[in-house]
Amino acid sequence: MQNKPIAEHIDRLWERALPEGGFSAKIGGNYRPDSTAWAILALSAAGIKNDHIEPSRARLADSQLKDGRVCALPELPDTYWPTPLAILAWQGSQYQREARSRAVEFLIHTTGLHWKRRDDSPVANDPSIQGWSWIANTHSWVEPTALSLIALQSAGYGTHKRANEATHMIMDRQLSHGGWNYGNTVVFDQELRPMPENTGMALNALAGRVSEEKVIRSLHYLESQIKQLRTPLSLGWSLLGLGAWRKRPDHAKKRILESLELQKIYGDYDTSLLSLLILSFFLNGGITLET
Amino acid sequence: MHLQRILKSRHGWTRREFLLSTFTAGVFALSGGFWLRGRTGRTKKAETLISKVNDYNADIASVIIFGMKELGVTEKEINGKKILLKPNLVEPQANTIHINTHPLIVRGAAEAFLSMGADRVTVAEGPGHCHDTLRTLEASGMADVLLEDRIPFVDLNCDDVYTVKNKGRYSPLKTLTFPVALRQADWIVSMPKLKTHHWAGVTLSMKNMFGVMPGRFYGWPKNVLHRAGIDQCILDINATLQSHFAIADGIVGMEGDGPIMGSPKQAGVLVMGRNFVAVDATCTRIMGLNPKKVPYLKAASNRIGPIQEKSILQFGETIDSVRTKFQLIDKIPAHKKLCI
Repeated sequence: MQNKPIAEHIDRLWERALPEGGFSAKIGGNYRPDSTAWAILALSAAGIKNDHIEPSRARLADSQLKDGRVCALPELPDTYWPTPLAILAWQGSQYQREARSRAVEFLIHTTGLHWKRRDDSPVANDPSIQGWSWIANTHSWVEPTALSLIALQSAGYGTHKRANEATHMIMDRQLSHGGWNYGNTVVFDQELRPMPENTGMALNALAGRVSEEKVIRSLHYLESQIKQLRTPLSLGWSLLGLGAWRKRPDHAKKRILESLELQKIYGDYDTSLLSLLILSFFLNGGITLET
Repeated sequence: MHLQRILKSRHGWTRREFLLSTFTAGVFALSGGFWLRGRTGRTKKAETLISKVNDYNADIASVIIFGMKELGVTEKEINGKKILLKPNLVEPQANTIHINTHPLIVRGAAEAFLSMGADRVTVAEGPGHCHDTLRTLEASGMADVLLEDRIPFVDLNCDDVYTVKNKGRYSPLKTLTFPVALRQADWIVSMPKLKTHHWAGVTLSMKNMFGVMPGRFYGWPKNVLHRAGIDQCILDINATLQSHFAIADGIVGMEGDGPIMGSPKQAGVLVMGRNFVAVDATCTRIMGLNPKKVPYLKAASNRIGPIQEKSILQFGETIDSVRTKFQLIDKIPAHKKLCI
């Protein structure tokens, strides 16, 4: 099924698997929940049998805290941003339904910090719209909100009010000239610049939730950028974002393999980046549509 | 005499030796500074050095070697050390020279430390806005330089971490979580760009250390630090983390709506020193701004380092000879009253 070049990279991914389940960020590294979730997503998309993936899903469940959150480090519970990744990684597992439900409950009952925008605020976006933050007690940003929205949709919560408000929040952070960045639009009257990775994530999350007309400038922005992109985070998310809107460019797989080849220059990508490229190799659409 | 010692201590750097010789007058003047320092016992003053460098094609390594030696950094001190260079890499904007620390400054610093006997030089950064660090490296031109010079890079946003007590306690944060790459280094060198900043007033060697805080634990942007207070966290990081040297890229800085959306500003200087507070106070004055009006510098004064001009022993060029006014924005509260 797999062609040889991508199979080699999947083998490289397996080299980060830990004997007790789970994955590290690099060969010889320590267990990381986010690396584990990303590896599971990539291996699932590559058609690896569930039996081989379940030990990693179980390790991910072992690192879940009681209230459902999954943290970058369990001893730092504020770092709950890997929770939506865990929800996606547990999708399709008959053994992790309870863990997944608790993670979904955690997301639904968790927000970033929100407040009514002051008239004299130098920041143009509306901070009252609820989304999700990277870290507890901070603002909501595009990336964790987009990932959480993708996760909720995958878990069947796409019509939940939090999903709807997240859609609203991401739309509020869309730059007027098209695209998204980490989550600020205009500061002191200057519109900030878009970034491909954030734009790809936002477009992936919004697919099927808003009309194409409302994101057309962002699609155009990403289509204009894609030819220049070769680094894994930007390329991977841009392909997923465009794919979610059925606009995946020609030769996408070739581009992904070229990006993977850059490891010969830069050294091994960490597990999340390697997994993102493998995932985007196998998914013609966005994450929600096909996982 | 001092010039002779510098030249004798290096090997095979003919072009640089030629360039160094152009500094002769300045060197003799600076040697006087050393003598005065030694004779009067005024060694507790923080020291900064300003070098005029008009463009990035200058022999920057020689300028940095010269500066370090004038500031009393010895080869014995550097020999065998693992050096971590922390440039300011913010966003991947190609064909701009005013957003990120210029890669040729980083190359020059790496050459300087290696020529002084460093065991290894690593470049490390954890960009605050752009999650795609590799794209920032490529677009800034840093990737090409690092690859050509075979200098390793660590993405501090994604490194393993260690957590320590917040020694500063200016902010409510009880602990700070740092990347292990910092603990593995013997010397940490902050390499900021001279820039105005729309929240902090100016961003220099102290604010540059925001970039060591890992995104996995502080977010993209590092909003934990924003919520806890930008000024307070600048102080906390610098009070907690032992850093060793600053080399500020002021050849082309940024004025106006920094740290990203401002305009290029030619200042034509490199500023160096061991004490970040003193270096930043000097840079602020070079920018035509008053360090006493920058809240975190004022708070740092006499606790982490001095900002009073009389408390800083100034080597190289005088501040007056290189001062160039950086434009401020009236509607930005952090810019108000910053002018000297």
